[in-house]
Amino acid sequence: MDALLPVVVLLPLLGAGCVLLVPNQEGVVVRGVGLAAALLTFLVSLGLLGVFDPAAAGFQAEFNRPWVESLGIRFHLGIDGLTLWLVLLTTFLTPVALLAATRAITKKPKEFVASMLILETGMLGAFVALDLFAFYVFWELMLIPMYLIIGIWGGERRVYASIKFVLYTMVGSLLMLVAIFYLYTEHHRLTGSWSFDYTALSTVVLSASAQRWCFAAFALAFAIKVPLWPLHTWLPDAHVEAPTPGSVILAGILLKLGIYGFLRFAFPLFPLATLEMTPWLGLLAVIGIVYGALVAYAQDDAKKLIAYSSVSHLGVAMLGIVAWNARALAGAVFMLVAHGLTTGGLFLGIGALYDRRHTRRIDEFGGLWKAMPVFGALFLIITMGSIGLPGLVGFIGELLVLSGSFGAYELNRATGGALPSLSAHPKVLAAIATTTVVLSAVYMLTLFQRLLFGPNSNPKNQALKDLSPRELVVFAPVIAVILWLGIFPGPVMDRITPTVEHYLTDMQQRIVDLRNVDTESHIRGERSASQGRGPRAALELGGPARALRTGQGRPSAQLVDGSPSRAVVPEAQLVAGVPSARLAVEGVR
Amino acid sequence: MTFSAEQLLAIAPMLVLWAAALAVLLVESFTGASTSRRHLMWMAIGACVIDLWVVALQWSALSGGAATRLAGFSGTVVLDRYALFADGLFLVATVLASMLFADHSSEHERERGDVYVLLLLAASGMMLLTAATDLVTVFLGIELMSLAVYALTGSARRVAPASARSAEAAMKYYLMGAFTTAILLYGIALLYGVSGSTNLAEIGQKIGQAPGGRLVATAGVVLLTVAFAFKVSAAPLHMWAPDAYEGAPTPITGFMATAVKAAAFLGAVRVFSLLTGDAGNTAGAALVGLRSVAGWKAGLGLLAAVTMLWGNLAALRQENLKRLLAYSSIGHAGYLLVGLLAVVQGQGELRAQAQAAVQFYLMSYTITSLGAFGVVAWLGRRGDERLHLDDWAGLAGRHPGMAFAMLLCLLSLGGVPPLAGFFGKFYLFRAAMEQPELLWLVILGVLMSVVSACYYLRVVMAMYFREPGRAIGPLPGSLVPAVAVVAAVTILVLGLAPSTLLELAAAAKAR
Repeated sequence: MDALLPVVVLLPLLGAGCVLLVPNQEGVVVRGVGLAAALLTFLVSLGLLGVFDPAAAGFQAEFNRPWVESLGIRFHLGIDGLTLWLVLLTTFLTPVALLAATRAITKKPKEFVASMLILETGMLGAFVALDLFAFYVFWELMLIPMYLIIGIWGGERRVYASIKFVLYTMVGSLLMLVAIFYLYTEHHRLTGSWSFDYTALSTVVLSASAQRWCFAAFALAFAIKVPLWPLHTWLPDAHVEAPTPGSVILAGILLKLGIYGFLRFAFPLFPLATLEMTPWLGLLAVIGIVYGALVAYAQDDAKKLIAYSSVSHLGVAMLGIVAWNARALAGAVFMLVAHGLTTGGLFLGIGALYDRRHTRRIDEFGGLWKAMPVFGALFLIITMGSIGLPGLVGFIGELLVLSGSFGAYELNRATGGALPSLSAHPKVLAAIATTTVVLSAVYMLTLFQRLLFGPNSNPKNQALKDLSPRELVVFAPVIAVILWLGIFPGPVMDRITPTVEHYLTDMQQRIVDLRNVDTESHIRGERSASQGRGPRAALELGGPARALRTGQGRPSAQLVDGSPSRAVVPEAQLVAGVPSARLAVEGVR
Repeated sequence: MTFSAEQLLAIAPMLVLWAAALAVLLVESFTGASTSRRHLMWMAIGACVIDLWVVALQWSALSGGAATRLAGFSGTVVLDRYALFADGLFLVATVLASMLFADHSSEHERERGDVYVLLLLAASGMMLLTAATDLVTVFLGIELMSLAVYALTGSARRVAPASARSAEAAMKYYLMGAFTTAILLYGIALLYGVSGSTNLAEIGQKIGQAPGGRLVATAGVVLLTVAFAFKVSAAPLHMWAPDAYEGAPTPITGFMATAVKAAAFLGAVRVFSLLTGDAGNTAGAALVGLRSVAGWKAGLGLLAAVTMLWGNLAALRQENLKRLLAYSSIGHAGYLLVGLLAVVQGQGELRAQAQAAVQFYLMSYTITSLGAFGVVAWLGRRGDERLHLDDWAGLAGRHPGMAFAMLLCLLSLGGVPPLAGFFGKFYLFRAAMEQPELLWLVILGVLMSVVSACYYLRVVMAMYFREPGRAIGPLPGSLVPAVAVVAAVTILVLGLAPSTLLELAAAAKAR
């Protein structure tokens, strides 16, 4: 079964090839072939659930073959609890988006379906690649199809939006490429072998300054993708101009790659820089939450409103991954899936209206419930899911993240102070972030009210038809999953939690190992404790050390849920052996 | 000097081309004025294919045991795998350019045989340049190549606006080229003066020992560098390139931007490798004889940086496709200069890696760029070359196949994975990053790749996002689409499975 992942990743590409071979522009044939490929991919990807061991924490269903042997490039794929659901989300949303395209896309259907399928391969590959070169190839593979989707099938300002999207993404990703190369050459320098493998490269501990630069390069690429305030300005343009299926994929999946990238690459590869920078990332996330929500409230364009709501929601997810405890992290991962479903659903809804009226202006609508009651009911469920109403998919992720970020401080203390807390005043940040619960209700309910309630005064709206059977087929699976995951999140959470716990202990181990970091790069674990323990070096990393808090070094050997952590620092070491390391950790608080 | 068959073996790839050039010339003079010239193209291509076979035979012959190189003519020419790899590249470029020219000339003027002769001669000059281990042969190679290309630049003679521009371009190119030749000769003279030899390896050994000659030696090396910088159109010595590229018939422009540039780079790699010497070589400390080795290397770094910046930034403002591609080729010269610097700076394994990277990059760039110029040539009609970006509007709607080939070529030039150009850049920048001093050039190169994406995507936008403008009539000939297919397939193959070519490039070391 180890060939399952490459099959899932490459099936859409094969489908794209088949679509391009269809000799004419016959819409039905092209769409049929494309939809069949996407559905087949989804069915095969369900097989991942079968082979996935919920209790295991490492990579599973791995596939590892040489690609370019002499350069150490391998086709190495694997999933864990972080990516299992993101992969399924991708394979689930793509056929939905393709089905939604039937009416939204009338010109050049062949090129459109092929672009969507190539895009799917890029996204799936980026999620499962465990070779940094392969990851980068897939990451960039997403760029061009999305560019074409916005640029060819988009709205009036599509050319501007598409080039803005490409430039933002490229600036970030090419600098990330330099950082990948740097890591790759450092690995070669230290070990004598060429490798892009994730596990091999993550044993490299770079010097302090190199970590900062490389982290900055990775973080820029991922922060643009998330998008983190103030790098979000491409998103509203891209969303507004993209055709409905493009928006669904963009908001539903592409943005998740930013958060995923932080978790998989930026944090574990550069732990020291992570230690220093995550409080700032948390601050940006919180600014994004509030800013996104306020700007969303002020929009007249329905798509723009949802775009800004994505900025706000992904801020919450970002806050979850920098809170450094299992609850918030698991919540953030769940939230990615939930946001993919609800935002995808919202864009489908706006798309259905756009297909009828060819406008996205909220003022043009009003009182639609009378004309379109079925649409109104379905849209209400999606809206409530997006707001985070208990019982729907959006609730549990947000709850976990917000409660987790409040708890960050205590949990961090319990882990021996090894992980950075949000900032000096985590509770203040968490409290501000919690306003999202109210703010999202404010802008989403306003949107819903302006679209569907009140008098249906606009004569153009009075004869609008309710959802067609095809549209019902598009909406039904999304609504079903929103309800199902809202009521039974257990199966999903069960498969996320072990990975998340393993992730945190691993991160903690990496950060504890930082006592060995001095100005020289080295391979993790190769250096004996006595070698790199210079107090000068360690102090240097820490910056201005604040006063030691009492009880910081207690070996309360529990991370979460009573699972004993193998990474906890023995007290003796912390207090007597390496006071400087503790200063370092403490200093960034 | 005794004359032996073995010496002829060392120049066998050139002999084939010379014989073919004479044959084509002869056959043409017996071809009636109104008869088609297509068979001359097939002769030239046939000669190139035979020559490729010769190159392949020699490649495998040189692998055996001690015989890794074949020196001829008192050590002025050497045949090794490095030269053979370069020969292969030139032959591929010549084949593709001939195919492009055949279709192009039957549309714009009438087909002519002399162009194929000149192409073959230019290719043989390139071969001589990359096989040269002596400054005199370097000079011969450069001149043989350049004289043929000057004539090629001016080869559009019949149809009014194009012929004037072609003549102007040839004149500019010739004058600048003559100037370069003078500089090159002056550098050769100075190096000879200080070392008493024109053999590159000997110069490398001796310039360190010549008392009081350090300033002269430095001046000689600098002049040599300037001459090569002219030939590869490195900024700020690139001024001739956009004009010459714009005026020349498009297939010839493609040939100039690829094969000529590749020859100059591969020649420079050989010359400067020999001059600086390698670790383990007796000439290890060769360039110590220079007044300031560090200064020279810093100068090369600066040249690379300026070239990358100038080429890419200037390309942003171009509305004319040929000028756009011309400036983009200057930008690519900048990336390659980073590779050249990595060759010059590196020792042993690092040098070999950098050299292989330059070779791989040139191969992928040559085929990609010729594909792009091919599509440009294909779009042009008699008296109306359709070079403006507006002429490209909506091409994807009318001719999806050619537009897709152009898309692949442009994305590959821009370095988008998983295409050949990305792999080339990766390989090149990896070699440079092995040497920490070059990190800033790599970062600059990567940033310039973003800039280059802007102008490549402008063409893509015109082709895909805009509504079709003027109708484009039915197209003559099927050779240009064939070239486009070859380019597109190569781009994908080199991007997805580059191993074979990488191994070939790694096996082709200059010694």
